[in-house]
Amino acid sequence: MDFYYGLAQTVGIHTLLGLSAYIVLLTGQVTMAQAAFFAIGAYAAGMLTVLAGWPIVPALGAGALLGAATAGAVGFPALRVKGLMLVVATLAFGEGVRLFFFNFDYQVAKGEIRVGPLGGEGFRQIRYFQENGWSTGEVMLFVWVFVILAMAVLWWFDRSRYGAVLRAVGEDELAAQSVGVNLTAVKVSAMAVGGAVAGVGGGLYAHYTTHIEHANFNVLLATFAIAYPIVGGLKNVFGTLVAVIFVQAILIEGLRFLGDWRNLLFGALIVAAMNLRPQGFLGGRRA
Amino acid sequence: MLDFFQAVSDGLLFGATYALIGIGFTLVFGVMHKLNLAYAAASIGAAYAGLLILQLGAGAPPWAVFLCAFLGGGVIGWLVYLTCFHFIPLSHQLAPLMSTVGMLLLIDEIIVHVTAGMPQNYPAMFDDVMLRAGGFTLRGDLLLVAGVSVLCMIGLLALLYRTRLGLATRAVSQQPVAAQLCGIRVARINALTFIITGLLGGIAGALIGASVGALSPLLTAPLTVKGLIVTVIGGLGSIPGAIVAGLLVGAFENVFQQFRGVTERDLYVMLLLFAFLVFRPGGLFAPKS
Repeated sequence: MDFYYGLAQTVGIHTLLGLSAYIVLLTGQVTMAQAAFFAIGAYAAGMLTVLAGWPIVPALGAGALLGAATAGAVGFPALRVKGLMLVVATLAFGEGVRLFFFNFDYQVAKGEIRVGPLGGEGFRQIRYFQENGWSTGEVMLFVWVFVILAMAVLWWFDRSRYGAVLRAVGEDELAAQSVGVNLTAVKVSAMAVGGAVAGVGGGLYAHYTTHIEHANFNVLLATFAIAYPIVGGLKNVFGTLVAVIFVQAILIEGLRFLGDWRNLLFGALIVAAMNLRPQGFLGGRRA
Repeated sequence: MLDFFQAVSDGLLFGATYALIGIGFTLVFGVMHKLNLAYAAASIGAAYAGLLILQLGAGAPPWAVFLCAFLGGGVIGWLVYLTCFHFIPLSHQLAPLMSTVGMLLLIDEIIVHVTAGMPQNYPAMFDDVMLRAGGFTLRGDLLLVAGVSVLCMIGLLALLYRTRLGLATRAVSQQPVAAQLCGIRVARINALTFIITGLLGGIAGALIGASVGALSPLLTAPLTVKGLIVTVIGGLGSIPGAIVAGLLVGAFENVFQQFRGVTERDLYVMLLLFAFLVFRPGGLFAPKS
């Protein structure tokens, strides 16, 4: 049973990552920086519970705030460019953050061992759940509370005036601007919301794996972040969830019996999925 | 000071491969206005394909490996076009981006599967040649890398600006609909663009393999990032820009590798990119719109 709880946690955390890219994609921007906000949330929440002794929920909140603040700060200069330029700018920012954590040391003595991030070695011993005696099932439920919360908030955004504005910018910037939409405000706010969601996901991830290092937050993770909403479709938040289940549960876990061939099939199935459903699994007529 | 010039010259020579990869990204973007994220992986894959000839005849000379990588690159480029672009309607912006990511993962995994994850030795030419001038040396294999790259660039520019095919390619990149009205088969030009960039990529992959001395699928991710950075610094769709930016990035990173170490090197390359995005967002040679 623990295996399925673990799988459900992975699906939940990756759903948060995908949702963080989903809201930015709604405005028509492709961002490769979500792994960076995820990393910032992970390191921030981990350091707060381990080094400062905070409880988990405020630590996650702080991670989310930091993620949102960074995303907003990146959004202002980066959103001056769009299309491929934005992909590359955010990609470079993501790599920059990863390299920052690669060179980041901040350790303090705690009892007999030294804890905290240590450059390339990573950040070990994020044992909040274990120290407080949470079972795997409880952790799983805790993760899913945040996933459902994030999905509900984004669903509500989608249905509200704000969601209509986001989609208007995504459909046609010029038209949106000519009816008085402030493009910068919309895009930066979408980035900030995405950064907050990614920050929460990162914080949960850090406490679930108990060990994070810079290599966890590479380009591949950033690619997965945008892959989920694109493969699932941008019609609503459930597309992202369906895509995460497709990728994490079916492609990665379900095909394990194929051994080596699983990895080969993984890329091929994504290519096939995009050929058959270019608008995503749950997408409408338009991508 | 000598160290500095040595680092710059080695970096410039190796930067020629970045220039080739950058040209591949920029050419596809110029013609189709789409990003082919599988390009660097396809180039490395083509370099591996070059090694296949060693399987057929153990004593094959290095130039045969290079030729095989060149041709293999063309075939892989065509396959990438067919699987990731041909059947997806042009109006879908995000789908080809994702399908090329899938292709990137697939190519990586095929390489890992075939080689069992072991890095493969790559044959080099002129690696025992050293040109010396005082304390200053030029490595023969890096000179070969730069020389072949320059030949490829001249060939490509001649193709684009001196032939009917090049004229058609440029027409499609400027006005696809108008080009189609003039009787140019757009799908065919797109496919040919992928084959041409694939050939270039095959050479670039083989040159990288030869100058590094070994090939590993781990090369694909950094090469993709560097290629994209070169494309943006040079200006999207600009071939001269990609060449200059490739050399610039090559020299820049080698200098920082020399003086700040390999773990910090890429951090400075990112800073260079941000400097360009802030002060010159159109790149070095921004195409006039």
